[in-house]
Amino acid sequence: MNTDWLPDSVAKLLGRLVDASAGERLAVSVAAVVASVLLGGVVTFVSGLFAECATPTFGPSCYNPLSVYYYLFLSPLTSSFSLSIMAEQTSLLLFTGLAVAVSFRAGLFNIGTQGQLVLGGLAAALTAVALGPVLPDGAIGGAIIATVAMLAGAIVGGLFAAIPGALKAYFDANEVITTIMLNFVAADVAFFLVSTYFQKPGSGSIETRDVPEAATFSPVVALLMGLVLVAATTYLLWGTSFGYDLRTAGLQTEAAEYAGVDAKRMVVASMTLSGAIGGAGGAVWVLMAVGRWVTGVPPLGFDGITVSVLASNNPLGVLLAGPLFGTMSAGSLSIDFQLGVPRQLVGVIRGLVILFVAMPEFFRMLGARWGLGGGVQ
Amino acid sequence: MSAPAVELRRITKQFPGVLANDEVDLTVERGSVHALLGENGAGKTTLMNVLYGLYRPTSGTVVIDGHERVFDSPRDAIDAGIGMIHQHFMLVEPMTVTQNVVLGNEPRKWGGLAIDRQRARKEVSELAESYGFDVNPTAAVEDISVGEQQRVEILKALYRGADTLILDEPTAVLTPQEIEELFAVFEELTDAGKTIIFITHKLSEATGAADEVTVLRDGKNVGSVTADDVTGEELAELMVGREVLFDVERPPVETGNVGLAVRDLVVDDERGVRAVDGVEFSVAEGEVLGIAGVDGNGQSELIEAVTGIRSPAAGRVYLGNSEITHRSRRQRIESGMAYVPEDRQARGLVMSYDLVENGLLGSQHDGTFAPGGRIDWSGTEAHAADIIDEYDVRPPETGATAKSLSGGNQQKFIVGREFNRDPEAVVAAHPTRGVDVGSVEFIHEQLLGLRETGTAVLLVSSKLDEVRSLSDRLAVMHDGELMAVVNPDEVTEEQLGLLMAGERPAELPTVAAPETEVET
Amino acid sequence: MRATKRFAFAAAVLVVAVVALAIEVLFPASPVTEVIRIVDTGYLASAVRLSVPIAFAALGGIFAEKSGVINIGLEGLLIVGAFTGVAVSYWLRGGEAVAVMPGVVLVLVCVLALLLVLAFLGLLGSGVRKIGTRVGGGLLATVGLVGLTVVLTDASQSATWLSFYVAVLMSVALSLLFAGVTIEYRADQVIAGLAVWLIALGAAPFASNVIWGTVNSTSVPTLDGWTVPLLSNVPVLGEILFDSDPTVFMLLLATPLSWYVLRRTSFGYWVRASGENPKALDTAGVDVRRVRYAAVLISGLFSGIGGASLSLGQVGQFIGSGSTMVAGRGWIGITAYLFGNYNPLGAFGASLLFASLEALQIRLQQLGYGLPPSLVQTIPYITVIVVLALVGRTRIPEAAGEHYDSGED
Repeated sequence: MNTDWLPDSVAKLLGRLVDASAGERLAVSVAAVVASVLLGGVVTFVSGLFAECATPTFGPSCYNPLSVYYYLFLSPLTSSFSLSIMAEQTSLLLFTGLAVAVSFRAGLFNIGTQGQLVLGGLAAALTAVALGPVLPDGAIGGAIIATVAMLAGAIVGGLFAAIPGALKAYFDANEVITTIMLNFVAADVAFFLVSTYFQKPGSGSIETRDVPEAATFSPVVALLMGLVLVAATTYLLWGTSFGYDLRTAGLQTEAAEYAGVDAKRMVVASMTLSGAIGGAGGAVWVLMAVGRWVTGVPPLGFDGITVSVLASNNPLGVLLAGPLFGTMSAGSLSIDFQLGVPRQLVGVIRGLVILFVAMPEFFRMLGARWGLGGGVQ
Repeated sequence: MSAPAVELRRITKQFPGVLANDEVDLTVERGSVHALLGENGAGKTTLMNVLYGLYRPTSGTVVIDGHERVFDSPRDAIDAGIGMIHQHFMLVEPMTVTQNVVLGNEPRKWGGLAIDRQRARKEVSELAESYGFDVNPTAAVEDISVGEQQRVEILKALYRGADTLILDEPTAVLTPQEIEELFAVFEELTDAGKTIIFITHKLSEATGAADEVTVLRDGKNVGSVTADDVTGEELAELMVGREVLFDVERPPVETGNVGLAVRDLVVDDERGVRAVDGVEFSVAEGEVLGIAGVDGNGQSELIEAVTGIRSPAAGRVYLGNSEITHRSRRQRIESGMAYVPEDRQARGLVMSYDLVENGLLGSQHDGTFAPGGRIDWSGTEAHAADIIDEYDVRPPETGATAKSLSGGNQQKFIVGREFNRDPEAVVAAHPTRGVDVGSVEFIHEQLLGLRETGTAVLLVSSKLDEVRSLSDRLAVMHDGELMAVVNPDEVTEEQLGLLMAGERPAELPTVAAPETEVET
Repeated sequence: MRATKRFAFAAAVLVVAVVALAIEVLFPASPVTEVIRIVDTGYLASAVRLSVPIAFAALGGIFAEKSGVINIGLEGLLIVGAFTGVAVSYWLRGGEAVAVMPGVVLVLVCVLALLLVLAFLGLLGSGVRKIGTRVGGGLLATVGLVGLTVVLTDASQSATWLSFYVAVLMSVALSLLFAGVTIEYRADQVIAGLAVWLIALGAAPFASNVIWGTVNSTSVPTLDGWTVPLLSNVPVLGEILFDSDPTVFMLLLATPLSWYVLRRTSFGYWVRASGENPKALDTAGVDVRRVRYAAVLISGLFSGIGGASLSLGQVGQFIGSGSTMVAGRGWIGITAYLFGNYNPLGAFGASLLFASLEALQIRLQQLGYGLPPSLVQTIPYITVIVVLALVGRTRIPEAAGEHYDSGED
């Protein structure tokens, strides 16, 4: 690949990122998505046989997989409204995907992005609501509030993730389970705090007051933030000593030890960083998507895991996988409204994608049988 | 005259790119002890793996007790009475001796629903007794000594009815005393009519314990002789094919102050067992201090404490004149301590990184390569290229992953990286393990070169020749203690052997330690 | 957790119990006594019932991880078990009367399908004869079980039981998928386990929506309780153990049985060897692959029972909202067996501990002490975290998480 036109340092950085085996991993990811979507189509068709509907739309089945594909992948791109939803989802997934990618790279299975996002979002909402009356109205005031709110979200998310990090580092507590447990705790604690202290008066749902209008921003801004974050994370991981330490610790702990990495500190630091990004994502959800904190936070954390796994935990990959899932997320509402296909289908596809990505052997064997990818190792 | 226990006729085994066995003939008489001798890579283990059914020969036949056999798996070999004791034991550590011996052949009761543990214990005890073995049937394997574990492995084979036992480098992990015990076991077994084949690369063992010796070189059988009729030198020539002179020039060097030192060092291993018990030494600048000893006597833990991987339970470590006992690993690297680790694949390299990133391992916070925490990839790449060039790492591509390199080249890269640090002190653990002969010489030269520029070198090696020729002073470690520090040029192999076994012979040739004092 | 820590923990629990008893006797009217009085036989019986899904998940997890395959997806298996049970039960009640025969057919078809897949994978041996006998034997055993069920219970209960069986089989099928992916295709066990969980987490509410239009199902009858004639009259213990859900009895049987299998049978030896040093097992002539498959399928079997016991044994419904009615019991089960150091008896004890906290939390809410329900709900989860921190580095099987490639060439 000709990189002459890029400044040397950037070219070298990219070179590190897109190494020899990247081609194969990309192929596996693409194959995984294709396989999952196809399987999802089969699931759709089969479940359509059991569903009840007025007139079957696809042979004997109530659900037409092709329509499902259309609504999942194409229709979100057709209208400006759905595009904005898609941008909204994508930007959020950039945040959560990167949060997961950072931790997975460090060798830590942080499944707690959802909880970190929930609490980070709450912190952001409360901060924004509190600052509203204090700062002047208008764009500048709003920008300040938004910045401080996002910071609050990042801090709270980071601290919340530091807990399982410290437990892992100093007590060797399995982080998969602790982070999942903390997801439950986060949801309950947030519910309690809002319903008891921060409930919006007069509202039927459990939610906080609205954040000041000026502090909210559009999906485009969020998307830009996401892009900046991708660049920043890439640089952090491959351009700095800290990033080198993090990656090495995630690959071979003994070698990292040999190279002088303080294993315990690194575990806590990487978890905190991951939580901070997740918390910031929660803040973005509050400030951009819903304008307040409300129960029923969408499963952005889990989708983030899918995005990261699909992207081989690579920030550049997240840039590709994020929009894919953002589109699917936006489309999932349509399949429900337009076709009556339950939106949880996307959840099933999400699980299938992770399963397929986890077994590259499978595609390698398929590829060998069909004579594809001759030179691929 | 009965048929030979084992006959291998023109066995050839071809791997992609490597001809491991080339028309090898081997005849082993029943009731004999047969040594299979050869250097690393000569094809001994491959040949035995064919005999044991782990590999199918590309061509040739296997004849057991006069009958031609084809083995599809070790199960077939076991059925034919062949038992193998691997170099790395196939034991389930938390389970008991009895459980390990009967694994796969458990005696059952109640129609197969339960294991008859009493019968198992009885059978194992009786079996052990009949061959004069000393084992505790109820002890957990993880609690017994290495020598005992080896006996459990042998019992396993015997329990399954093995008539011929193959042992792969059985003495690699034993102390000299345990080795003698093992050879006594050989005698018991052959007296009982069993046949023994053991693989070794040590001449003395071949001549000492075996009745017959077959020498393999480059995959071919270059000679089968009766042990009594041959001399060590003749065997060595057969093994290597040419006269090998292990002659390294070690010019005297004026030593400086203390480069590296430890005082009253006590280190515990992972399980909390004391591995290093009160060790004290100093290495002067410009000196090579060698530490010899059988693997597993605390050398690993000693090195880990010196290099900062492990915290000592007590004692002090010094680099130059500063005490570094509680300094972190990173601080020690920054203070100029280079370290060639024992385990190159787990510690010395990150297998999935390319050589550029591996060149950075340990230096990623160094101002030359990462000023202000930002990595300078151009500089790093140039650095890796230099190492590859100087140390003849093949293939010479900075973009090659560590995984794609052979063991010898991996080792060369690590040595190059560490020696290139311009270090104050170098800790080298088995630096030429798995390295081809030509490169061994090169590494030795580089090491002595460091010595000449005033670096303190701590060299741990299980290769006696290496550690004797390179060291200015030679220490022997046994059971966590330094038995003695001797003059490597004058000490004899017997004296070293005794020291390694924990005995201190009288009249050891010492050598004056350099005038150094550590400011405590 | 080292032996001393465990001992200290047990001693602490004992001390608390003694102190509580003392307070109850000496200060009958104090508010503290009221709280202590929560622990009555009803409470204990409910704790035992609540421990069933957790304990079964834990028992299954022990087999899998001991053999070297860390099954993180237990939560997903529980979900599948819980959902399938209710779905099939609903299906059998679709018409006027409860239809039992379709249930019987469904069970047999599932068993046949599973056996055929196992045969195809080469796990039932080689040669048409051997495979044929094994498939035949499996079908025969199923017919026996099903026949017994239909004969001994009325139509409605038969349908519920048959749904239970299908639920278990579905969980076994999903665990077979997990086993295949990790053993054949060498997938990373943690990621594959997470995938299994997420697939189930999506599929169950999805299917629920398809069938009932919402993520929660309609109600179906639960399994009738069993009362052991004489033993249930024993004071205290009788009510807790012998007058309860059939699934409680299954658990009381499965726990010592698991212990026995692991410690006293050849299969148990092989499972343990497979997780510590599979090469040793391989060279001893035992097929490591088969052992690992069997262990993972056992985890599927047990988790299926656990999941179905939740929906068909206790609640009578499938709730698919949020994290589904399973609500983390699979994860708690994993913690239980880590806490119990891979010992089935210890895992049962730990499951009971967690379940009793859940029962406590429910009771506290009922008594309405003014404790915010959402905070009270966090008690079990926080306890799990605390336990994990205390347990720390258990001695995990040496080869757990690693693929095993038998044989070269």
